[in-house]
Amino acid sequence: MKKSLYGAICVVFIFCLSLAPAAVPTACAGDATDQIRETADAVIAVLNNKELRKPERRKQLREIVDKRFDFAEMAKRSLGPEWNRRAPEEKKEFVSLFSDLLENTYIRKIERYEHEKVIYTGERVEGSYAAVRTKVVTDQGVEIPVEYRIFKKGTKWEVYDIIIEGVSLVNNYRSQFSSIINSDTYAGLVKKLKEKVKKESE
Amino acid sequence: MKKIDLEAAVGFFLLIGIFSLGYISVKMGKLEVIGSKGYTVYAEFEQAGGIKPGADVQIAGVTVGMVSGIRLDKNYEALVSIQIDNGVRLQEDAIASIKTSGLIGEKFVQISPGASEKYIPAGGRIRDTESAIDIESMISKYIFGKI
Repeated sequence: MKKSLYGAICVVFIFCLSLAPAAVPTACAGDATDQIRETADAVIAVLNNKELRKPERRKQLREIVDKRFDFAEMAKRSLGPEWNRRAPEEKKEFVSLFSDLLENTYIRKIERYEHEKVIYTGERVEGSYAAVRTKVVTDQGVEIPVEYRIFKKGTKWEVYDIIIEGVSLVNNYRSQFSSIINSDTYAGLVKKLKEKVKKESE
Repeated sequence: MKKIDLEAAVGFFLLIGIFSLGYISVKMGKLEVIGSKGYTVYAEFEQAGGIKPGADVQIAGVTVGMVSGIRLDKNYEALVSIQIDNGVRLQEDAIASIKTSGLIGEKFVQISPGASEKYIPAGGRIRDTESAIDIESMISKYIFGKI
């Protein structure tokens, strides 16, 4: 009686062991990291190309970033619950404003980078969502952790959020947008965004 | 006859006393023993920053639940179980962040609602999280630089 009980426990134990490797998520560099790396490398290549004039360089950067970032999804997430209260045309307008805002703010920042290096520290895939963790190492050796939250669209991974130093870009905009909408109106938010985009593109 | 009445009364009051004590400790300790009113969702944080079971979960500053448990998962990340009140639904793209009230106040979980049409079911997971920010290490990193 006792023996058979031990036998049963052994069988269960071995069964669990055989399941364990399947449950551990892939930690090695995979498809997701490769796609992010491809984009990052392309951006760095453009930045290091000294022959490019500034407008041309900006245009190329935009093209590269556009391919990898899903601005519509980012805009939707950033607007939060208000998104569902908007009409289709308003959504469209908001997405284009939001992507202009991001491009102006971030491409301008990226343009100043020259000698930064990107290290890939790991990725986690869960179904059609994944996170790619990287570190940007500056000239002075300061390491800035940057995490890309991505989701699968066909065979392509697209970015829907960036987490820099633990701060989510989407959440940052989400709280700012909701406080503007609460104290003002949605129209006020759009007006503010338009002004900001106009000022930065000058 | 009279004596029995007195003893019964004392016993009755004692029972009431014990019951009240039990009730107070359950309420104060925020232990939901009987009929917890809510459903559980999970969130994984890279850095939980010492959040404790019983900590508030807020949306727009309103408490909508509490942290019911926290443990280390197999990736060495913090798996926080959160009990959300029935009637509060979380969108799939809601973001959970660990915040501190004031500079050195207690920690709480803040959830910012998203725009997705899908909702997180009971036992589901809040995919997007923001860890507790270690201001001290951030300041020192930018002031002194890294070796």
